[in-house]
Amino acid sequence: MTQTKLPQTKLTARNVDVFYGDNKAIDDVSIDIGNGVVTAFIGPSGCGKSTFLRSLNRMNDTIAGARVTGQILLDGEDIYDREMDPVALRARVGMVFQKPNPFPKSIYENVAYGPRIHGLAQKKADMDGIVEKALTRAGLWNEVKDRLTDAGTALSGGQQQRLCIARAIAVSPEVILMDEPCSALDPIATARIEELIEDLKSRYAIVIVTHSMQQAARVSQKTAFFHLGRMVEYGDTHQIFTNPREERTKDYITGRYG
Amino acid sequence: MSNTWKSDAMTRRIAARNASERRFRLLGLSAIVLSLLFLALLLFIMLRNGLAGLDWSFLSGSDSTDASAAGIWGAAKGSFLTMVVTLVLSFPMGVLAAIYLEEFAPRNRWVDWVEVSINNLAAVPSIIFGLLGLAVFINMAGMARSSPLVGGLTLALMTMPVIVISGRNAIKAVPPSIRTAAMGVGASPVQVVFHHVLPLALPGILTGTIIGMARALGETAPLLMIGMRAFVATPPGGINDPSSVLPMQIFLWSDEIDRGFVQNTSAAIIVLLVFLLAMNGLAIYLRNKFEVRW
Amino acid sequence: MIASVIFPAVLALGLIGWFSTRARAKLLYSGRGSMHSMPGYHAWHLALWIVLPALLVWGLWSAVSPVIVDHTVLSEPVAAQIPSDPVQRAAILSEARNIAEDPGFIGFYDESPTLAPAMKAAQDHYGLIGAILVAVAALAGGGYAFTRVRSGYPARTRVERLVMLALLGASLLAILTTLGIVASLVFEAARFFKDVSPIAFLTGTHWAPANAVGDDLNANFGAVPLFWGTLYIGAFIAMLVAIPLGLMSAIYLTQYADRRARKVLKPVLEILAGIPTVVYGYFAALTVAPAIRDFAAALGYQNPSTESALAAGLVMGVMIIPFVSSMADDAIAAVPRAMADGSLAMGATRSETIKKVLLPAALPGIVAGVMLAVSRAIGETMIVVMAAGATARLTADPFASMTTVTYQIVQLLTGDQEFNSPKTLSAFALGLVLFVVTLILNIIALRVVKRFREAYE
Ligand SMILES: Nc1ncnc2c1ncn2[C@@H]1O[C@H](COP(=O)(O)OP(=O)(O)O)[C@@H](O)[C@H]1O
Ligand SMILES: [Mg+2]
Repeated sequence: MTQTKLPQTKLTARNVDVFYGDNKAIDDVSIDIGNGVVTAFIGPSGCGKSTFLRSLNRMNDTIAGARVTGQILLDGEDIYDREMDPVALRARVGMVFQKPNPFPKSIYENVAYGPRIHGLAQKKADMDGIVEKALTRAGLWNEVKDRLTDAGTALSGGQQQRLCIARAIAVSPEVILMDEPCSALDPIATARIEELIEDLKSRYAIVIVTHSMQQAARVSQKTAFFHLGRMVEYGDTHQIFTNPREERTKDYITGRYG
Repeated sequence: MSNTWKSDAMTRRIAARNASERRFRLLGLSAIVLSLLFLALLLFIMLRNGLAGLDWSFLSGSDSTDASAAGIWGAAKGSFLTMVVTLVLSFPMGVLAAIYLEEFAPRNRWVDWVEVSINNLAAVPSIIFGLLGLAVFINMAGMARSSPLVGGLTLALMTMPVIVISGRNAIKAVPPSIRTAAMGVGASPVQVVFHHVLPLALPGILTGTIIGMARALGETAPLLMIGMRAFVATPPGGINDPSSVLPMQIFLWSDEIDRGFVQNTSAAIIVLLVFLLAMNGLAIYLRNKFEVRW
Repeated sequence: MIASVIFPAVLALGLIGWFSTRARAKLLYSGRGSMHSMPGYHAWHLALWIVLPALLVWGLWSAVSPVIVDHTVLSEPVAAQIPSDPVQRAAILSEARNIAEDPGFIGFYDESPTLAPAMKAAQDHYGLIGAILVAVAALAGGGYAFTRVRSGYPARTRVERLVMLALLGASLLAILTTLGIVASLVFEAARFFKDVSPIAFLTGTHWAPANAVGDDLNANFGAVPLFWGTLYIGAFIAMLVAIPLGLMSAIYLTQYADRRARKVLKPVLEILAGIPTVVYGYFAALTVAPAIRDFAAALGYQNPSTESALAAGLVMGVMIIPFVSSMADDAIAAVPRAMADGSLAMGATRSETIKKVLLPAALPGIVAGVMLAVSRAIGETMIVVMAAGATARLTADPFASMTTVTYQIVQLLTGDQEFNSPKTLSAFALGLVLFVVTLILNIIALRVVKRFREAYE
């Protein structure tokens, strides 16, 4: 178990099981997720990608009856340890959801929400700086800088999703988890998000769940294939898509099922 | 970067936030506990004051100026007759209206008016229905004051919207596939409703009806308006005789100065609450037993 | 007396018609498609043709015959000596009618017993004519329907058309009730406003209907203290109790309690809503009000009254808790889970998420719920009748006794019963104000709720 970690490893999962009540949704998954790279989770729907993703920032805690066993380490610290506060953890491991879910507040307040609850800015000017930086990194600043007081929900779907990314970035996370962030968006908006992921990857560890294999191939460097609650194969994206070791992976990416 | 989150200031801040989280949760719990304590206190005081008075002579007697001779049979009979009138009028009317609105009504301004009317009637203060009863049934139609007939009529107008609303919800819950299936074997729209939809919706309609009737049984204010506050020492023989009802008996006794009536009032409250609890229990039982989830 | 014979007789005739027609129509049935309507529909068609015309005629006759009977009695020689004053005449006739029905009845007028035999004779005579008319109607209707029992006759369509009419009629009853309320309130209030100026009523600050005689009506029908008491008790004190407790209960039930606790706590909390208001009123008067009076005395009040705005408002607030709680519950549940997830995933605590995201998002629904709660509170009667007091007073002192619109309506209509005095009519003016205010609150609130639901689908 005490395998030597690669220096750039950000998250380590060891023998993780996730249960919903008596149902086992994730079965014995172990994975190392690197810093500065994009890791894609692929697999047929219902195989547990979202469930595993949610266990990485303890969002499973908010689901009644969900239970995680095994070990998940962030920079070597057990995130399910009693000492680890989920409040701080979730600020360090941000999350972007399938459907854009901006708060029913102004664009500015959406981005300022995280820094405000965590007390990251003392002065208005600091907050303005954080908001501008986050919106700039999310590639949204130029589109919204003149209407920061407009409702976040008034933006287009793609803009809303980038607002949600800016919202997550604003608390300076180390990891960003994205659960099918483009599945509710049109192709042009999708392309913008993919560009954005490319820009962001040097600063964060990014994990993206996607049902589109093309997207996984385009944006990720590492890919993990999940099937029926187990991680079947994990490796370089190029290798997974060109030369999968497992028969089931091959069947999936060649479209035999899924 | 992670030392932002490890700094002393941040640790203290997070501890404070978690403490405030616990306080908030406790606040929520105490809101519920406080409400339930109030309920417990109310029930406790009624039981302490009234339990001793619940004997056979109390249950079988009628109103009297002598506290120890007074009983609730007369008022209970009045309540029963009033409820019969209410049920006989409001149930068929409410169900028919619910069927019309849910299954046949065209979408037009008239039907909108009916809907707005019903939704508002369900929220109109009960005393207003009393004023209506006084103006229409007593002053205009010249019916007998203080009688179960007028009381029942007044309460029926009040109860009907409740039955319509719950009836519509129950009818709405019957899946459209049942209707198309029945249409498919050649049933006319009226047959579809009366042979297929209505039987399936009936448990839901009955549940709503019982709840509406329970509300009517506990109602006092509208009956005050139509004069049901007279001293009635003999149980009513029919729906045109002067009569009292249980909640009115409670109100009248509560005004008596004689200490003996405190026991009577509390005992009558226990009887009334037992009836209401039984009705609500029946409604919950019906809902659990027959509710089908489609 | 005649009614107790005619009604069962008509129903029995209908029943006989139903069974015999079904049997007869069955003989016509010779397999699939041989008849337009099944035998049962012919049976209903005929039975309805017997019962409905008969009841219609009976209804008309019961409305008309008393007039004819009175007329006949008055033209008898014995009626020659009764007074010509119409009011007295009507009273005597009414007494004679009572004596005719119940010979033991003791009347006030000496003339009544002498009229009674004539009254009885006339009643019997015209009762018999009525019975014959009803029988003719039943037989004519039945006869018509009898000739229609043919295989090609669309009995089902006819019966269904009547059913549709009944459905329509039932739903129109709702509008009729609303119109009835509006008409009776407006009509009686208008009579009141003939004597008292609406301005004086709505803006005057002195309420003393008992003193209102002669020309000083306007000075004694100032309803502002009643409006103030109503709002102070129902919209202020009661809400001060119900909003925090109801809202926090809803938050605990939806956000913190696990499913089992929720399943127990919610129905128990709802028992509070099922307790009759007269019971709350008694509890307020028996327990809460004396406790509050003692508390006021301990605070140093001189002679605090037993009845107080605080006692009534407090108990009313408790009564409204489950209502506010269930409205807030609905409003919070309507906010998509993704909204809360977004906040939790940023590292917000549950309570931060509730305060900063859920409650603002649910606010329209909650506000609408509070409006409906206020509408209930200001229309609540028994609690204020039993615990608030009769004194019309403009004060913000919660320990003072205070009166409300509903209390005064009860007071004005249950004392003496001279119906046309401004005193009793003012109750309808108060009712009209109450109706209009609650109607506005309800309409706005129901709109807001509807739009709010649509916003989150
Ligand atoms: N909140 C939940 N409660 C119970 N079971 C769940 C819940 N969420 C997901 N599951 C179950 O866990 C399994 C994995 O689901 P999920 O992680 O959503 O799959 P994916 O994201 O790969 O489509 C499924 O069988 C699903 O039914
Ligand atoms: Mg998923």
